[in-house]
Amino acid sequence: MRLRQSATTKFRAWTARRFGTDALPYQIHRRRIYILPSRHGLAVAALIIAMLIGALNYNSNLGLAFAFLMVGVALVAMHHCHRNLLGLVIDADPEADGFEGSQTQLNFALYNPSALHRFDIEIHCAELGSAVRSIPAGARAQAGVTLAATRRGIFRLSQFELRTRYPFGWFRAWTYVQAPLLAYIYPRPVGGHRLPASAVAQGSAASAEQRGEEDFAGLRPYAPGIPLKHMAWKVLARGGEAAVRHYTGDVVEPEWLDWHDLAGIAPEARLSQLCVWVVDADAARRRYGLRLPDFELRPARGTVHRLACLRALAMFSAGSP
Amino acid sequence: MNDARVSFERLTWVCGCLALALAPDVGRLPLWILATAAAAMAIRLTLAALGRGALPRAVRIAVTVCAIAALLLQFRTFNGISAGTALLALVAGLKLLETRTRRDLCVVALIVYFLSLAALLVGSSFWLLAYLIGVCWLTTATLLRVTVASASPDWPVSLRYAGKVLLHAVPIALALWLFFPRFAEPLWRVSGDDQSAISGLGESMSPGDITELVLSDQIAFHARFSSAPPPSEERYWRGPVLHEFDGRTWRRGGADLGAAPALIAAGPAYRYEISLEPQRHNWIYLLEWPARWDLPHGILTDDYMVMLPTVGRPIDVSAVSYTHAEFNGLLGDARRRSDTRLPRGSNPRTVEFARRLRAEHPAESDFIAAVLAKFRTEEFFYTLTPPPLGADSTDDFLFETRRGFCGHYASAFAVLMRAAGIPARVVTGYLGGSYNPYADRWVVRQSDAHAWTEVWIEGRGWLRVDPTAAIAPARVDRSVREAQNAAGAFGFESAGRLPWIADLRLRMDALRELWRARILQYDQDSQQTVLAHLMIPEPDSRKLIIVLAGALSLVLAWLTWQVRGELRARPRDPLSRSYARLCAKLAARGLPRQPHEGAETYAARITQSRPELGLAVQSLCRQYNELRYGAGHSSGDAARFAAAVRAFRPRHSRGSSET
Repeated sequence: MRLRQSATTKFRAWTARRFGTDALPYQIHRRRIYILPSRHGLAVAALIIAMLIGALNYNSNLGLAFAFLMVGVALVAMHHCHRNLLGLVIDADPEADGFEGSQTQLNFALYNPSALHRFDIEIHCAELGSAVRSIPAGARAQAGVTLAATRRGIFRLSQFELRTRYPFGWFRAWTYVQAPLLAYIYPRPVGGHRLPASAVAQGSAASAEQRGEEDFAGLRPYAPGIPLKHMAWKVLARGGEAAVRHYTGDVVEPEWLDWHDLAGIAPEARLSQLCVWVVDADAARRRYGLRLPDFELRPARGTVHRLACLRALAMFSAGSP
Repeated sequence: MNDARVSFERLTWVCGCLALALAPDVGRLPLWILATAAAAMAIRLTLAALGRGALPRAVRIAVTVCAIAALLLQFRTFNGISAGTALLALVAGLKLLETRTRRDLCVVALIVYFLSLAALLVGSSFWLLAYLIGVCWLTTATLLRVTVASASPDWPVSLRYAGKVLLHAVPIALALWLFFPRFAEPLWRVSGDDQSAISGLGESMSPGDITELVLSDQIAFHARFSSAPPPSEERYWRGPVLHEFDGRTWRRGGADLGAAPALIAAGPAYRYEISLEPQRHNWIYLLEWPARWDLPHGILTDDYMVMLPTVGRPIDVSAVSYTHAEFNGLLGDARRRSDTRLPRGSNPRTVEFARRLRAEHPAESDFIAAVLAKFRTEEFFYTLTPPPLGADSTDDFLFETRRGFCGHYASAFAVLMRAAGIPARVVTGYLGGSYNPYADRWVVRQSDAHAWTEVWIEGRGWLRVDPTAAIAPARVDRSVREAQNAAGAFGFESAGRLPWIADLRLRMDALRELWRARILQYDQDSQQTVLAHLMIPEPDSRKLIIVLAGALSLVLAWLTWQVRGELRARPRDPLSRSYARLCAKLAARGLPRQPHEGAETYAARITQSRPELGLAVQSLCRQYNELRYGAGHSSGDAARFAAAVRAFRPRHSRGSSET
């Protein structure tokens, strides 16, 4: 077993060197598909050999015909197993996110551009597990491989495998797709510390937020990313430049989530606490900034900002002061 | 995936396949083995229906040990087809008892495949092969459903898929079957094989025990005459000669006593070829009296039977026979003793009658004539449903029942002869046979089985006497039966009052002959003939392997092409197909059509990058657009477009660095 494992590891490394990195989405090429009989397939081979010996020994032409038919069935099954992967298009989300201690998913998309239904396509990530999908002709399928996030940090996967044993499970065909996948594992969101008072703006942040939407402050040029509900459609309709309405609410004093406010507790616990604050601040739709010893994210709000903050926490290396 | 539990539905199908694969073995395997397999299936299915798992381990082990022990007791070996099949049937049944996972079901499926093969080693009919290929089809579809882990394909899809796999496997099987080298001799002999079904006569005959002679249509053998065939009343096919009589039963008796007496042939020579199915016995049937035959290991016994050293293989023999022959020489003492011996005290009335009659007719020929006259003039009937006879069977027959078939008359006649001191023996075999014009050969069926006698006349040798002929001339005069008039009277209903049924039977027989000659007896010589047909000079086994490799490469290349081709969606209408071909041709030259491009834009782009192709492509694309969107075009236009696309051969660009 260990021998087989080390051989597999060496082979995977060799394919990585041989083919370099694949651009996603990747369409499986026939030269990249490997195929070997499975254990069940070896049993079938033994059966067929026994059939042939029996038929030859009894000089039975009908027996031989049947045994040869089985040889034919096995060879056709081999071609079909190989074909089951051939030309399949695989895409993967290069980045995944999750909290430590939760189940994170690496997301894959399969596209079957052919005229055949493809059964039992297995996406396998080493040390993680697999997902099995059947994809009808011309259809797409989503699949997720679960990553049990046990440690904060970045989980890197340099290649994954597509496998199939269809039909009959007599052969296993597989291919390695060389594509770097990342999973950001955020700190575990635990911690009961409250935000230091200095960080909180005067008055209720939530009410400031609501007020902000009401006080019109002028027009600004449109930039991609600004919500469409802020568009000044009338200006546009008059033939002017695309412009958006600007509100005074945006100038509400932001809060800073600061590493230095949490002096006296262990670094991982500090990160966990910061993580809780980010999640809470985002849930309350407040503006917030994140300050780490050597890194600062200016106050902002929204999904992208939240993602940037959490990833910064995930990537933070505790060695730095 | 392997740990997935087996569902009731899958289990049912696997059980069904197993039952179908075992069906040809009914009647061949001991009943308890089939019953055990059936019971195992029933128990497992019931448990599955109740939602329970397999039986407890201890029970399974106990059942297995008992079954294997019983099997050993019955067969004394696991070797040979019957024992092997029985073992497989038991293992499959017991494996079902413990099926928990898909893998167990896969194992049962493999056993089903092997059982099919075992049935084919025993049987040899076309229908059996067709049936077992059907079983193989069903098993393959079941296997597909069992092994697919995600939503498994439904039944029509599975069956269609399995059918396609089998169809694609056929060319591979054909190439291998045609060119895979055959061995002249088996790899090893398996002892205790009862390879063939019992066909033909036995080595004993006891007419008194038979109360109903069932005429079977089963074919005993075929004969083809290269000379003119003898008249039907002389077409005696000689089989076992019986010497020993114990009052009820005639047996083959003692060992071979000396050499066969020399034969002085008279009359025309008949040249013919006999094709025998594999049989359990070791003699062959030849036309009386055989003079020459081409069996290197055949032995002629002193009573003119041709014996073989081995059994169980189909045999073709060419032989020469004379229907009239005389014998030169004397009857050996041992034979004279064995052929005049009667059990002491049995059949006293017969013995008494024979002595009295012999006293009246001292000449042997007169005595024979007197006995035959008794059969002819007194109330003797020919029947296939004779009354049973008592311990002194000949007494009962001659003086009480007077009803019987050929065996009764031959037996009674021989006893009368022996009681009068004339050496006599019973010969069993076949009489007649029917001609099949479609295959140009004669078919001899079990219903043609016959028994007659031979008596030793001093100075003349063995003389054939057929006492049945004295009673029922129709039984001997085959021309009556061939006209199919007397058929009903003799119970040959199946021979048919309807001529077309008889005709159909002859045609089937011709097909059977083709099957036998071309398929069942395909061997080394046939392979060399095939090579010769392929214009290969001096065919030998080395060239055979080269041809096999070549044929397999061709077939596999075809298979790869076929299998990959199914990935591409083939447009149904010819116009789209032609257009797709045009795009494929251009794509092969590095100019693939982008999915968003219409025909016109595509042509324009090609004109820009490869001006020399522009004109042709533009013309073709315009044609396509007109045919596709224009009004009123005929199918001829589409065909013309297809031809134009086929003729279009874009060349590689010379200047481009891409090539």
